[in-house]
Formats: sequence, C-alpha cells, structure tokens
Amino acid sequence: MGAISTIDYVIIALYLSGMVGVGLWFAKKHTDFDDFFLAGRSLTTPLLITTLISTYYGIDVLFGDSQLGFTDGVVAWFGYARPTYAFFLVAAFLLAQRLREENFKSLPDILDKYYGKKTRYVGAVTSFIYSLPALSLYGFGMLGDVILGWKPIVGMLVLGGIALVYTLTGGFWAVVLTDSIQFVMMCVVLALAFPFAMNLIGGFDSMIDTLEPNYFDTMGDLSTWLIVIYASTGLSILVEPTFYQRIFAAKSYKSVRNALIIGIFIWGSYDWMITILAMSAKVGVLKGLLPGDVAPDAALLTIMVAALPAGALGLFIAGVLSTEMSTLDSYCLVAGGNVAYDIYKPALKPEATDTELIKTTRYGILLSWFLGFAMAVSFEQMLGLWVFLASILISSTLTPILLGIYIPNFRRPLAGFFSAGLGLLSTVILNIYIMIYGTFDPVDETYFIQWFGVDFLQEFIMYITIPISLIGFFAGFVLDKGGRS
Amino acid sequence: MSGWEMFTWITVLILGLGSIAVFILFVKDIRQILKKFQREKQ
Repeated sequence: MGAISTIDYVIIALYLSGMVGVGLWFAKKHTDFDDFFLAGRSLTTPLLITTLISTYYGIDVLFGDSQLGFTDGVVAWFGYARPTYAFFLVAAFLLAQRLREENFKSLPDILDKYYGKKTRYVGAVTSFIYSLPALSLYGFGMLGDVILGWKPIVGMLVLGGIALVYTLTGGFWAVVLTDSIQFVMMCVVLALAFPFAMNLIGGFDSMIDTLEPNYFDTMGDLSTWLIVIYASTGLSILVEPTFYQRIFAAKSYKSVRNALIIGIFIWGSYDWMITILAMSAKVGVLKGLLPGDVAPDAALLTIMVAALPAGALGLFIAGVLSTEMSTLDSYCLVAGGNVAYDIYKPALKPEATDTELIKTTRYGILLSWFLGFAMAVSFEQMLGLWVFLASILISSTLTPILLGIYIPNFRRPLAGFFSAGLGLLSTVILNIYIMIYGTFDPVDETYFIQWFGVDFLQEFIMYITIPISLIGFFAGFVLDKGGRS
Repeated sequence: MSGWEMFTWITVLILGLGSIAVFILFVKDIRQILKKFQREKQ
C-alpha cells in the first residue's frame, strides 16, 4: 500500500497516542480488584454495547467476512454471520440473567461454585489458553506489514505493545474506555466507506449488473449440513470468557439484555457492510479499477485505499487497528485474571489482598502477551491454531457450565471434573492427531483427515469432543457418591 | 432503488447514526461514573 498521506499518518499517530494516554490516566486509580477487573460492576447499557461489539469483532471477522463476500457474495452474511445473532439472543434471554444474579467474577468461578476447585483449575487453564492473544498479535504483524510497510515482528511489538501498555496500567476501565472510542471508529468509518466505494464502482446498480446472479443468492451453494456446522460455531458465545466478564461487570441484568438486543442490529449492520464492500471490491476487479490479482482477504483494504480520500483513509486504518486492539486488550485482561484470581489466589494464597491480586493480574497479562507473541512468531498455520484454542474451551466448559446453570441437581464435583477434564484431553489428543497424520489444505487453511471415506476437518473436532465431555459428565455424576456440590 | 440497496442504506444509518447515538449516551454515563469514582477515591 503506497497511497497513505501525511494526514493519514498523523491521524493514526494521534489515535495510538490517545490509547496509551487513556491507560496511563487510569493507572493507580483503582481502589480494589473488582474495580480493576470488573470496573466496579457499574457498566450501563451504552458502555456494554461499545465494549461487547468492539471486543467480539476482531480482524478475523473483518477479513474473514470480506474474504467470503469477495468470493461468494451475500451468503457471507446470510449463511455465516446471521446464525451467530441467534446465539446472542439465547445469551440475552436465557443465560445473562442467571450469570449476573450470582455475582461471579470469572468463568472458572462458576465451575468452582458448581463442582469445586479441581474443575475450577481445568476451567482456568482452558480459559487462559483460549485467551492468549496469538491471533491478534499475528494480525498486528500482518496489518503493520500491509498498511505501514513494517516487518511483521515490528507490527506485533509496536501495535500489540500499545494495547499491552494501556491494559496493564488501566485495567478494565481503560479497556472499556478505549473500546468505546474503538467502537465508534469501527462503525463510523465503515458507514462512511460505503458511498465512497459506490462512487468508485459506479453505484449499487452497477454492482448488481456486473456480478454473477449467484452473488445475490442468500444461501449460495451451502448445504443444510454445512449451514448447521457453521451455525454451531456460534456455540462459543455461550462460554466466551470476555463475554462473561462483561455480563459480570454489568450494572444489572437489564443492562446486558438491552445491550445485546441493540448490539445485534449493530453487529448485523457491521457484517453486512463488510460483505457489501468486499463485493464492491470484486466489481472493482471485474471492471479493471483494482488489480486483477487481489487476494480475497486483502479485498477490503484494497478497495478502501482506492476509494477513500486522504484523511478518511487514516481514519479507516485507525478503525482497523481499533478492531484488533479492542480484542487483544480484553483477552489479555481475562488471561491475567485467570492467573491471579482463578489460580494464584485459590491455590497459592487464599489470603491475598486486592493490591496483590491486581499486581498478579498484571503479571498474568504480561505472561499471556509474551506466550501469545511466541505463538504468533512460531506457528505458520494461525487458523489451525485458533481452531485448536477455541475447541479446547468449548469442549471442556460448555457441558458443565450449561448443565450446572440449568439443572442444580447435576452439580456434583466428579461430574464437572470428568466433563471438563475429558473434554480438554480429547481435544488436545484429536488436534495433535489430525495435525500429525492429516493433510494441510492451503485453500481452506485447515487440516483434514480421511475417516470412513469422509474428509474430516479440524473444525469438526468439537462434534466428537463435546459428546465425550457429555459422557464424562454423566459418568462422573453416576460415580460421585458424595452428593451435590 | 433495489431492495438490496435500500437494506444497505439502512445498515449505513444504523452504523453511522446508531454508533454515534450510543457513543453520546456512553459519554453521558461515563462522566457520571467517573465523577462517582473520583468522589469515592477522595
């Protein structure tokens, strides 16, 4: 990319400095651990909307959705993005109230209350692993390279380092405040981009005339089976640690419910806009306005550079950086909390003061950042790594948390421990097996293996491990003679 | 104007105006929270 002007660089620099400033402003303003980790449980609906939306949407969504929009059309929204909103509705109406009422602080807290310390530690380890910011740091490397011409490792260190600084110093308050700025930048910039993109390609009717009709087929070539598979990836929302943290930090259940309902409209608009901009990029390629060799995952950036004037491009780039910073800061904070509150305090120092907990959380944030950095520079198959990390969390916590929340009679220590432990173990074994004995598909960027004549993708592992976790739960339930937790 | 285009403009309005409206409410709430925060600190 070579079309960035001085004004764009100034905007990007101002934005990055502002993020650090927010973190430093909040440094040493925290009164206790609740304040540092959950913003004193005082988040109202507008605060929740901004932090939920900006955290849950990283560049994986930005570039993943745009890649599909570029190659397949509106199915990127109808087939892939839309089912996720159903899970947000489930979370809003069936999950949030139960979680908020019990004053938990973290996801492993729930496991501890229902099943005891052993299950808490399994949950803390899986939540910590899941929250490692490897993908975000990898994304910063890619963004630094594509946008600013930096070496990937410089992008990781500088951009990821800025998010680390304000998270370390400012805690959840800094995360929430920066999330809000990042939220408005992400949304406004995408809204502004649409008329510019239309101006470049000759209007919306030109897009309809130029693209093949199948680009407007709402379900594309997806079979019902594939739709179910893609839809079920939204299950992660039901055990997502950053999502839980925001529920626990809410002022009330109603704040969360309203934030999620309003948020669904903004999430939906965001996904749709990315899809349409990517389709515009396809039109730009077909009309010769953009280079013919544009990679699908670079389509969004390419059309923005071509369409946006100086200044607006700087805002767009700051918006893209925002998208990833808001994700990285939240996950680092959750991982830090897992170290301090879920492992250090119960296992090593039950009498730890709030000051010690905040200090240990900061060490945990640093640890997670450096582990994520090591993964980002060591692994080549980041999508495979991400599937691995996500399947670990879902397979080990989904069953015990949902059954424990809805059926109090099922809360037996051995049931939770077997379920979480077997879910974790089976996920690790199956992922390693597929990575060693399977084949890597460079097109889908995933591993697969032939089982009974069927291509079994790495993404499908949780369809084996969740049932294993469920079997483990009921085996533990039957074997547990000690009664309810 | 096709249905697709109309839908897209609605999403533009939600993203643009909706996010600014949420941000204004955010600023209103955060000011009150931060004032309370400072009072408790003192």
